[in-house]
Amino acid sequence: MLRKTFLPVIFLLLAYGFTVSADFKTITAGVAIFLFGMLALEEGFKTFTAGGLEKMLRAATNKLWKSMTFGVLTTAIMQSSSLVSVITISFLSAGLLELASGIGIIFGANLGTTTGAWLVAGFGLKVNLSAYAMPMLVFGIVLVFQQAKSLKGAGYVLAGLGFLLLGIQYMKEGFDSVGQTIDLAEYAMTGYPGVLAFAGIGIAATVIMQSSHATLILILAALASQQISYENALALAIGSNVGTTITAIIASLGSSTNGKRLAVAHLIFNTVTGLLAIGGIYQLMAAVEWLSRYIGIASDNYTLQLAVFHTIFNLLGIVVMLPLMSVLVKFLEKAIVADEIEIERPIYLSGGPGDIRDAAVEAVRKESIRLYDLAAGVIVDGLSINRDVLVSEQKVKRVVKKSTDVIDEDIDDLYERKLKALYGAIVEYVINSRGGYSDGRLKEELNAIRQAGQHVIEAVKGVKHLRKNLNRFMRSDNQYTMKEYNRLRRLIITVLREIEATRMSARESKSALSLDHLKLEIEEKTREFGRGLDDLIRKERIDVQTATSLMNDISYCRETCWDLVEAGTVLFSTSDLDEKIAMRTIALGEDEIVEMMENPDAEAAR
Amino acid sequence: MKADNMLAKLKDILSAERHAQLEKYASLKKVLKALRDEKRRLEWVLESETNDAAQHEISSRLKVISKQRRKGLKVLQELKTEREKTRK
Repeated sequence: MLRKTFLPVIFLLLAYGFTVSADFKTITAGVAIFLFGMLALEEGFKTFTAGGLEKMLRAATNKLWKSMTFGVLTTAIMQSSSLVSVITISFLSAGLLELASGIGIIFGANLGTTTGAWLVAGFGLKVNLSAYAMPMLVFGIVLVFQQAKSLKGAGYVLAGLGFLLLGIQYMKEGFDSVGQTIDLAEYAMTGYPGVLAFAGIGIAATVIMQSSHATLILILAALASQQISYENALALAIGSNVGTTITAIIASLGSSTNGKRLAVAHLIFNTVTGLLAIGGIYQLMAAVEWLSRYIGIASDNYTLQLAVFHTIFNLLGIVVMLPLMSVLVKFLEKAIVADEIEIERPIYLSGGPGDIRDAAVEAVRKESIRLYDLAAGVIVDGLSINRDVLVSEQKVKRVVKKSTDVIDEDIDDLYERKLKALYGAIVEYVINSRGGYSDGRLKEELNAIRQAGQHVIEAVKGVKHLRKNLNRFMRSDNQYTMKEYNRLRRLIITVLREIEATRMSARESKSALSLDHLKLEIEEKTREFGRGLDDLIRKERIDVQTATSLMNDISYCRETCWDLVEAGTVLFSTSDLDEKIAMRTIALGEDEIVEMMENPDAEAAR
Repeated sequence: MKADNMLAKLKDILSAERHAQLEKYASLKKVLKALRDEKRRLEWVLESETNDAAQHEISSRLKVISKQRRKGLKVLQELKTEREKTRK
C-alpha cells in the first residue's frame, strides 16, 4: 500500500512545488541532473574498469586496513559510496569476500564519501561550474557513442562529471534566487529539538534520493546561500549519513545471508556514528572550530567547516567501531542465520543477475562448483562407496573391492531436492543475466558454465541408471558379474579423483587441457570392457541377459565419465577469461579422441 | 608506409572487434606456449623413465598434447588470416 502510494504522492508534491515556485523547479532539476550524473558515472566506472575494480577488490581485501583503504580510495575516486557498497554486497554474496573485509570496505567508504563535501565546499561553490560542465558533457557524449569499451567508459565518466557539475550549479542558482524572495532561515530551529528534527529531514531526503552525496550538495548549496543555519546543516549531514544505508539495505534484500549481514553492519555503523554525533554535536562543533582555525579555514566559511565536521564525525565512528569489529561480526553471524536447507538453494546467486558482471560470472561458477560437489557425493553414494574415497589416498581398486554393501541412499530424492533445484536456480539466473551482457566473452563463459552444470546433471542421471543393475548384481553370487561392475565403479571413481587432483593442481593454467588425457583413458577402458564382455559371453561365464545389462551400463559409465570431465574442464580452470576460452577452443572433442584411438600410428607419425 | 602503419595502429586502438581479435590471438599463443613447455617437460621425464606403465602413461599424454597443439596452431593460423583481412 505504502509502496503503491509513495510515487504518486512524490509526483503530486513535486508538481505542486513546480507551480508554486520557479526556484523550487531549478533546485529539483539540479538534484535530478546531479543524480543522473551519478548514474552515468557509475555506468562509466563499471564499463571503464571492465572487471578491473573487481580484480582490485579481490587483491586488496585480505587485511582490514587494506579493505578500509580500498573503501576510502574507491569512494573518493568514484564519488559514490553506493556503488562501492553494492559491489561489496555482490562480492560477499559470491563468496569472494569475508564479512569482516566487507565491513572494512564500508567503514572506508563512509570516510571516502566525505571527500565530496570537501571538493564542493572548497571549489564547487566558488566558481562557475557550468563553464567546466559544458565541454565535459560534449566530449563525454561524443565518446559514449564510440564502439571501444574503454572510450565508451571514459565518455560515461566525463559526461557523468559534467552532469554532476551542472546539477550543483543549478542547485546553487536555485538557492541564491530563493534567498532574494523568501528566507528559509526563518524556519531554523535551535537546540536539540532542532538537531533531531533536521537529522530526521536529512534521513528522509537521502532515503528518497538514495544518495547522501546529493543531499550533502543540497545542504552545502543551501548553507552557502544562508538559507539554513550552520547548526541545522550539521544535523542534516548527520541524517544523510544514516539515510544512505537505504541503498545497501535495498541491494541486500535479494542477496545472501552475508549480504544481509553487511547491510545491517552498515546500518549499525552509521546509526551509532549518527547517535554519537547528535549526542556530542556541540563538542564536535567546538572541535571543528578549533581545527578550522588550526588549518586556516575562515571562521565564517561554514561550508568548509561542514566538510570538516563531516570528516570528523565519520572518523569518530570508525575509531569507536573498529575495536568492536569482531564483536560486530559475531553478533551479525548470530543474529542473521542462514536457513536450513530442505530444498537446495543457491548460496552465491543473489543481488540481481548481471548487476556486477565479473562477480556474477564468478558467482555462477562457484554455484556450479557447489552443484558439482553435491553431485560427486550423490554419484559416490550411488556407486555404494564411502564418500571418503574422493580424498583418501588408498588405491581405488582396494576401496572398490572392499565396498560390498549397498548404500541405501534415496538418490532420486537427492537428485530432485538438491541437484535439480540448484541447477534450476543456476539456469534461471543465467537466462535472466544474459541480456545484460554486452561483453561477448562473459556471455560465452556464462554459457559454458551453464553447459557444465548440464553435464553434471547428466552424469548423475547416468549413475541413477547404472545403480539399478549395480545394486542387483552386488547381491549376486556370480563373481564375474561383480568383477565387471567393480571395473565400472573403479573407472568413475578414478575420473572423479583425477578431476579432484586437477582442481588442486598447482599448475593451474594447464588444468583444463590436462583433463583431455582422461578422455582418452575413458575411451580405452570402456572399449576394453566391451571386449572383455564378449570374452565372458563366449566362455559362458555370464548369461546373455546380464551381458545386455552390462553393455548398457558400460555405455552409462562412459557417458557419466565424459560428462564429469567436460564439467571439470570448465569449472576448475582458474586462468583468466581469455585463456579459458582459448583452452576450450583447443580441448579435444569426442571425434578427435576416437580418431586418435583408431589411427594410433598416424597420430604417432605426426 | 609509416602513415599506413600508424593508421592501422589507430584502428587497433579504436576498434572493439580488433581488440577482441588481438586478445584472442594473444591468449591462444600463450596457451600453446604453455603446452609446448609441458610437452618438453614430459619428453624429458620420459627419457629417464624405466617403468613400462609410467612410460605408456606419459606417451599417451604426449600424444594428447600433440593433438591439442596441432588443433591450436590451426586455429591460430585462422585467426591470423582473419586479422589480416580486418586490417585491410
